[in-house]
Amino acid sequence: MEEKIKLSRIYIIATLVMIVVGIVALIITFMGDPQRGWANLLLNNVYFVSLAVGALLFASIQRVTHSGWSAGFIRVPEAMAGFLPVAAILFLVMIFGAQSLYHWSHATAMEHDPLLAHKAAYLNLPFWIIRMVAYFALWILMFVIIRRLSLREDALGGLDLFKKLEHRAKVFIFIVIITFSFAMIDWVMSIDAHWYSTIFAIRNFVAAFHHAAIVITFIVLLMHRKGYFPFLNKSHLGDFSRYIFMLCIIWGYFWFTEFMLIWYANIPEETAYFLPRVRGEGWRFYFFANIIINWFLPFVLLMPKATARNHTVLKMVIPILIVGQFIDLYLQIFPGTVGEQVLGFQEIGTFVGFAGLFMLVTGWVLSRANLYPVNHPYLEECKNHHT
Amino acid sequence: MDSQYILGVFDEEEALISAFRKMKKQEIEIEDVFTPYPVHEILENHGRKSKITVVGWFYGFFATLGVLAFLIYTAVIDWPLNYGGKPSNAFPSFLVITIILTIFSITILSLFTFSWRANLWPSNEKPIYHKEATDDKFVILVNKELTNGGKASSVMKESGAIEVIEK
Repeated sequence: MEEKIKLSRIYIIATLVMIVVGIVALIITFMGDPQRGWANLLLNNVYFVSLAVGALLFASIQRVTHSGWSAGFIRVPEAMAGFLPVAAILFLVMIFGAQSLYHWSHATAMEHDPLLAHKAAYLNLPFWIIRMVAYFALWILMFVIIRRLSLREDALGGLDLFKKLEHRAKVFIFIVIITFSFAMIDWVMSIDAHWYSTIFAIRNFVAAFHHAAIVITFIVLLMHRKGYFPFLNKSHLGDFSRYIFMLCIIWGYFWFTEFMLIWYANIPEETAYFLPRVRGEGWRFYFFANIIINWFLPFVLLMPKATARNHTVLKMVIPILIVGQFIDLYLQIFPGTVGEQVLGFQEIGTFVGFAGLFMLVTGWVLSRANLYPVNHPYLEECKNHHT
Repeated sequence: MDSQYILGVFDEEEALISAFRKMKKQEIEIEDVFTPYPVHEILENHGRKSKITVVGWFYGFFATLGVLAFLIYTAVIDWPLNYGGKPSNAFPSFLVITIILTIFSITILSLFTFSWRANLWPSNEKPIYHKEATDDKFVILVNKELTNGGKASSVMKESGAIEVIEK
């Protein structure tokens, strides 16, 4: 079972081309409208950090629950979390863009706005940067610990490391829920600094987990087509689908709860957030596309056993859902920063660039270690998984 | 009274499965199998598939439509009320009640359907074929009216049944 993947030359060239496309698109955007450039950078940063953090959470939950079915695939989420150090660097660049994204970062805006001045103790640039560094330091630390223990388990085996990993995973789940919630408030919710929603953080947290599960499934499916994961059977597919199905329901639940309560209470300070998104020209389409793609589509398509365990259906649904997460973040970030609804090659190009970088980093981390956790106690159960 | 059933009692899962396979091969009709935990091969190959999930889906589908229709009829068509300046058709707020009542309907109706199909009404005494079938023994039940009893008992014995009882 000891096997390492080797990145093919075509894969590396393709990802590099994607990165170049992204850089070109970003440069063009910044020359035209810097604000739009920063908004694009923020969107893609949040998107891929969500994937990395969600993947690490996925791996941790498998460790805590002693899941047998996922034991053979555990390297995939671990490799996806390897994007975190790269994401940290890209996020540090955002410090220069904070002034054009967040209007609370201007001292003059704070002075003339008593409501914002009230929040100045939390929403100020130095503290914002300190928090950002702290989040990434914690996440990267957790990634390094989990990854290193997992690789040592490969070399040494035995149950001691397995138990140690389970303990670390528990700590990580606890830390990530708190830090990621605050991170989402800092990076996304504070764009509309006057508005607040207490369910915002958990909704984005579930979205991150939801789409991480989707991308993990996608990577496993694509690698299976290349001949890796020969033990992948219908039962594994069923379990991956159950993850997507379950998380789409939770995400839809939180989305609806947030919207319905604000719509029903009809308080001007709160509805100001949803009014342009539901009624505004251009945004309206994305608002309904968001819930239809991210909740309705997987809910209906992955409910029957026959479609949930079907390679073709999953390969069809997953790319749509990857676009779905983009729409979700697009709708949260763009109305507050850019203002008018714009979606052109700048947005798509930047996303392609980030996707290329993510693919390159994930593939590289994946190729650095055994593809299968050879000494994982549940590996045998995973190979013979049957539900 | 003449005995109607033959019971093969097994100690091990392997013995049960080998008996099950042989009986399937020789086309001996199996009435029921009792196991302490789900055994995949028997679940898949015993020839009966539960349709309770399909039934549950339809209960849910019609419950959703029914509850929505009821809410719209009462709150919009028959007696429009103004609550806090909302339009009578306050559709998003209807959904909450719809979700709750749909889950409730599926649960209750599926429970009743299952009880009816499995003869599990309170007054109905379900026969216990073998007392240890609820414990740690595997039991295959064969109805003599449907199949050749002698053949069945010999197959079960040679596969390693610890006892074969006629009841």
